[in-house]
Amino acid sequence: MMRSVLAGLAEFTLTALVIAVVILAVLVPVAMSQPDPGQVLGLFLLGPFGTMRHLGNVLELATPTMLTGLAATLIFRAGSFNLGVEGSFFLGGIAATAAALLLPLTGLVAAPTAILVGALVGSLACSVPGYLKVRFGASEMVNSLVLNFAFLYAGVFILNYYLRDPNAGALMSYRLPEDFTLDRLMAGTRLHTGVIVAFIACLIGGIWLYGTRGGLNLRIVGAGAGFAQHLGLNSGALVMRAQIIGGLVAGMAGAIEVLGLYNRFSWTGLPGHGWTGITIAILARENPFLVIPAALFLAYLQVGGDMLARNLAVPSEVVGLVTAAIMLVVTSAAIFRHPAFLRLIRDIKGQEQSA
Amino acid sequence: MTPPAPIVAFDKVTKTYPNGTMALSDATFEIRKGSIHAICGENGAGKSTLMKILFGLEPHSSGQVFLDGAAVDTTAPDFAGRNGIGMVHQHFSLVAPLTVLENIILGHEPRSGLLIDRHRAREQVVELSRRYDLDVSPDASIETLSVAAQQKVEILKALARETRLLILDEPTAVLSPPEIEELFVRLRALRDSGITILFISHKLHEVRALADVVTVLRAGRVVDTLPMSDVTDTEITRMVMGRDIGIVRRERGATGEPLLDVSGVSTNALDPADRLTDISLTIRANEIVGIAGVDGSGQRGLVSLLSGLMRPASGTVRFDGKNMARASTADWRKTGLAYLPADRFTQGGTPGLSLIDNAIAGTDGDRAVQSGPFLRRAAIRSRVSAMVREFDVRMRGIGERLDSLSGGNAQKLIAARELAGSPKLLIADQPTRGIDVASAAFLHSRIDAVARSGAAVLLVTADLDELLRLADRVLVLFNGRIVADLVNTAELTPAALGPYMLGLEQAA
Repeated sequence: MMRSVLAGLAEFTLTALVIAVVILAVLVPVAMSQPDPGQVLGLFLLGPFGTMRHLGNVLELATPTMLTGLAATLIFRAGSFNLGVEGSFFLGGIAATAAALLLPLTGLVAAPTAILVGALVGSLACSVPGYLKVRFGASEMVNSLVLNFAFLYAGVFILNYYLRDPNAGALMSYRLPEDFTLDRLMAGTRLHTGVIVAFIACLIGGIWLYGTRGGLNLRIVGAGAGFAQHLGLNSGALVMRAQIIGGLVAGMAGAIEVLGLYNRFSWTGLPGHGWTGITIAILARENPFLVIPAALFLAYLQVGGDMLARNLAVPSEVVGLVTAAIMLVVTSAAIFRHPAFLRLIRDIKGQEQSA
Repeated sequence: MTPPAPIVAFDKVTKTYPNGTMALSDATFEIRKGSIHAICGENGAGKSTLMKILFGLEPHSSGQVFLDGAAVDTTAPDFAGRNGIGMVHQHFSLVAPLTVLENIILGHEPRSGLLIDRHRAREQVVELSRRYDLDVSPDASIETLSVAAQQKVEILKALARETRLLILDEPTAVLSPPEIEELFVRLRALRDSGITILFISHKLHEVRALADVVTVLRAGRVVDTLPMSDVTDTEITRMVMGRDIGIVRRERGATGEPLLDVSGVSTNALDPADRLTDISLTIRANEIVGIAGVDGSGQRGLVSLLSGLMRPASGTVRFDGKNMARASTADWRKTGLAYLPADRFTQGGTPGLSLIDNAIAGTDGDRAVQSGPFLRRAAIRSRVSAMVREFDVRMRGIGERLDSLSGGNAQKLIAARELAGSPKLLIADQPTRGIDVASAAFLHSRIDAVARSGAAVLLVTADLDELLRLADRVLVLFNGRIVADLVNTAELTPAALGPYMLGLEQAA
């Protein structure tokens, strides 16, 4: 276990070096267009560490993506390219809102119950494409992509017709009861107790994947169906289990995000933390322990970019470009070594040939 | 009459692959114009490599290829097309959703301006199919055609560009006997119209029926090139199989109770390699039964059947007194199956995981390595270290990935895992293919030890020396049937097995 973590860490360092080169290549021209180039670089690179408040922003931003990154990691480890994490995240958020508004709970059980409901409902978006894959061999990637939007509009429908506060002035839910929202940890930021859950979840995920029989069997199935078959493992059940667990984690992430940050539920589009989670899983080489630094790193880039946009005359689109370029390099390096991705390409080729 | 000039001549053509495998060494022979020239040899003898070189698909490492007496560079772009060399691959290279017409003109479409001149294309295809008497309907889409009809299209495609030399790689593998007969009639007609045909096969009776000249390859070397009229089947068989060099057979002990009993089993598989017809075999405790046969004669089906990957359509399978006709792989393993798969890196193990993971995979519920759901790391490390020591696996550390090992060491690790639980039945499928001599000898001694400890062993191998060294009894598969059941005595030689493997004789 230690060894694989170390090997992963070495690759991680290499990736970080590549990123540094890209940052210089992309950011320097942007900086040169400003009166004080040094300030641009300084703000982007060091700004997030400048104050406790900005550091809190990084943690706050990394909270949902650590969980979605973990969810995507567990799913990809089963050798399946299910992108339902985004849909699960959204469903988890709306289900937790519904639970908070409809369940007559108070006290300490309130928030955990809503999160549990969010996790259970959220796991739908991952387990449906997973089931279709295991049972019928239908492409989990296509199905999960399409279903994400189906679940989005189903969620918006429920928001509009059942949870909407007519006096709010926009499409948003009634105010969430106080007992259901998560406690804030740091004044001046929105950092909430969910961040602790995210850290612990990643650690448990890592221990499960590398330290238990179930985790080993999952890695075997993901590494090669032929070997799993040879050993007599029930591949279908193992793959399905990974989708369900991944979906639960992603749904939990959505619930925690809503209960931690907002008073009302107001998403009418996919919030995007699921997609980021997929990037993080790839960046972390599908290692739950490395999901933590990967999520922190992307959050750091995001906060640095936001600070540029807020404080200097750098348009926020340019900041988006910078972060996008960095993510492109990071993921493209990782994605072509990604076993599930390569298998997907092979599958498509195979289907073309047999067609 | 002077013999016609050679159309192709190979002079000391050698091919070494980057991994060090020498597929061809100093191949020298000529193919005469207007003949049907057969290339004969076992799997891996170098037939396909030779054809790929001639067709320009692969470069050779040294030597020369001559075309019409002039040295040529076969790797030049469109070498085959420009020189009138057409090839019908064993696996068709047709595009299924397109029509016959579109497939035949693909890559050299007649054009008018930017567009394909459909009218002229159709004329060409109709003319082609009339000239060679190969009747196909130009507008049928490929996926609606039978395999034999697809092959006709494939041949037409190969003939479409003023072809003078037609290469056919195992063309009969996918055909039924009447279709084979028809194909041969057409090929003879093609020869009579002046086309030279190069015919690759390991089925001797087909070579006999069709060819004028035969070149025999063995282990990458040309054994001889002879007119068919000058050589008997027995002589060809001997050339294909090689001479019997003293084989040290395993000492046989008394056999015990029957452990595995297969009776009258057939399977409904489409692929000939999986197809079994009325197979019956019994393996007793302490007995090693070897399976011989040309690749694709049903070996894969037999192994799949006995490891729970495939169910019999009829017949009974009993193992250790239990009915296993409907058993899953997990059931087989629980009953005492150990299995060394032919494909070490996709079935026997997984290259991306560590030696530890590979070594303890499948030991679910073993209290020695697991407490509750958690793996006991210290216990696992000491167990895997012991396995690695006992089986002499050369490695850098048990935390390394499996693909850091050589083939022989990976196979030893897999054997260590499979043989750990004192199995009742061992299936060894090509256990030493492609691995070094020392590892192979070690694995042989292990397989022998497993049999001595009271297990039944099924050894499937293409290496006849290995087969005769280890097996107590040899069953020969041909076309999914057991055609011979022979006791392995000193009289049994590779040459004696040849006629059964090639489907010329039966003794079952």
